[in-house]
Amino acid sequence: MNQTHILTTFEDALRALRNDVLMMASLTERNLENTRKGLFERDEDWCNTVIADDEEIDTLEVQVDRDGINIMMRFHPLASDMRNVIATMKLSVNLERIADQAVNIARRARKLIVRPEVTEIQGLEPLFTFSDLMVKDAVRAFANRDIELARGLQDRDRELDEMNRRFAEKITDLMGKKVELIPSYMDLIFMARFLERIGDQAKNIGEDTVYAISAEDTRHMNRIDGK
Amino acid sequence: MLETMDQSPTQSASSSTTMSDQPEPRADFLKVVDFNFHYGKKQALYQVNMEIPERQVTAFIGPSGCGKSTLLRNFNRMNELIDGIHHEGDILLNGRSIYDKKIEVIALRRSIGMVFQKSNPFPKSIYENIVYSLRIAGVKSKSILDEAVERSLRGAALWEEAKDRLHDSALGLSGGQMQRLCIARAIANQPDVLLMDEPCSALDPIATAKVEDLIHELKRQFTIVIVTHNMQQATRCSDKTAFFYLGKLIEFDETQKIFSNPGEKQTEDYITGRFG
Repeated sequence: MNQTHILTTFEDALRALRNDVLMMASLTERNLENTRKGLFERDEDWCNTVIADDEEIDTLEVQVDRDGINIMMRFHPLASDMRNVIATMKLSVNLERIADQAVNIARRARKLIVRPEVTEIQGLEPLFTFSDLMVKDAVRAFANRDIELARGLQDRDRELDEMNRRFAEKITDLMGKKVELIPSYMDLIFMARFLERIGDQAKNIGEDTVYAISAEDTRHMNRIDGK
Repeated sequence: MLETMDQSPTQSASSSTTMSDQPEPRADFLKVVDFNFHYGKKQALYQVNMEIPERQVTAFIGPSGCGKSTLLRNFNRMNELIDGIHHEGDILLNGRSIYDKKIEVIALRRSIGMVFQKSNPFPKSIYENIVYSLRIAGVKSKSILDEAVERSLRGAALWEEAKDRLHDSALGLSGGQMQRLCIARAIANQPDVLLMDEPCSALDPIATAKVEDLIHELKRQFTIVIVTHNMQQATRCSDKTAFFYLGKLIEFDETQKIFSNPGEKQTEDYITGRFG
């Protein structure tokens, strides 16, 4: 696997595919960081930047698809090469969705920050940090072929689901008590939901990484095992 | 079945069974046991052990000189035409050694047909190509010969193209048609096993697709072993794949496993093009 491919054009094409998706990953991470600044620093400019920068990620998604299809067509990759190409193309789809969730949060944040600050936003911070770190680790697991880090994302996703559930429950309770804050609370609940989805996508990247490394399909194991 | 090696082709042709009559396929229909093979002093195969399942397609892959064609040619003892060869170990067809002294090599080769890289029709008519071996075996009945020609050409997906020119020269056919004629000739004897040594390497993509489709159909009746350098062909056509390297069987498994997640590093390096 670490040996160089006999066909240098294949090696070059695989490298270009990997570079494009890693560029996409770093832009997605940057967008999440900017979303955090817009939301917690109550800065509309950062929110607008996130929405505008999403286009770059969309463009790269198309590029990664083209790279991948081109490799399939020209080189008919097999075994680990085939798994890597498939996982990379799926990684790009998941990154694009993560970036879309960042845009969703930024849009909600733009509405939220024009209203008086609600203290409950602090409760969203741990969810943000948790999902953001999941994305970073998912990308790191893929880039470094770290199968254990990739596997761990499934448990972390369940933990994030639980954090989201508890947060939504708490905010829903408050809605009955502070009716005037319902619009802001609704924004918080939606944003927590977007973060929970980001965790889902990071978990998907982890599963695709496990497949790329070991050909093991770990998706939907709970449902398949009847757990 | 191997018993048919003792029968005349007439008996074999007339006693053809329908699909529903066929017993459960054997997992070790063609069994290679501790097999070593030497061309003079040069050893070409080392301690090969494998079980080729009945009525499935098994592909042999590996770089040139790895021994895959050598093993294929041992299945019908074609290597015995070369001076100075010898082997150790055994090959069993349906549980019976192909080296059994009671077995005639000619009967064995009727039972294990072969198709070569380059189509090699006889300079005779399409009809005569197919009935050639039946005539040699003494079949004279025109109705039996006619029936064998139609059955074989239909089996090789060539009937529609050839039925109106059965007595034209086989050399007037296209390359793809000639190769299918050779397949028809090989199945005219209703063999148990069909060996194919790179059958599509000289064909264009359309003719290749026809032969691949045909392989898919033929495995209902025959056990097929195909040697190919084309990985995509192996993935498309075969149920199981064996990877050979330097005369050794490195890995033998389900085709999907071999091409998506091979167990051996040498297999992985070969099929992903990282060899050497």
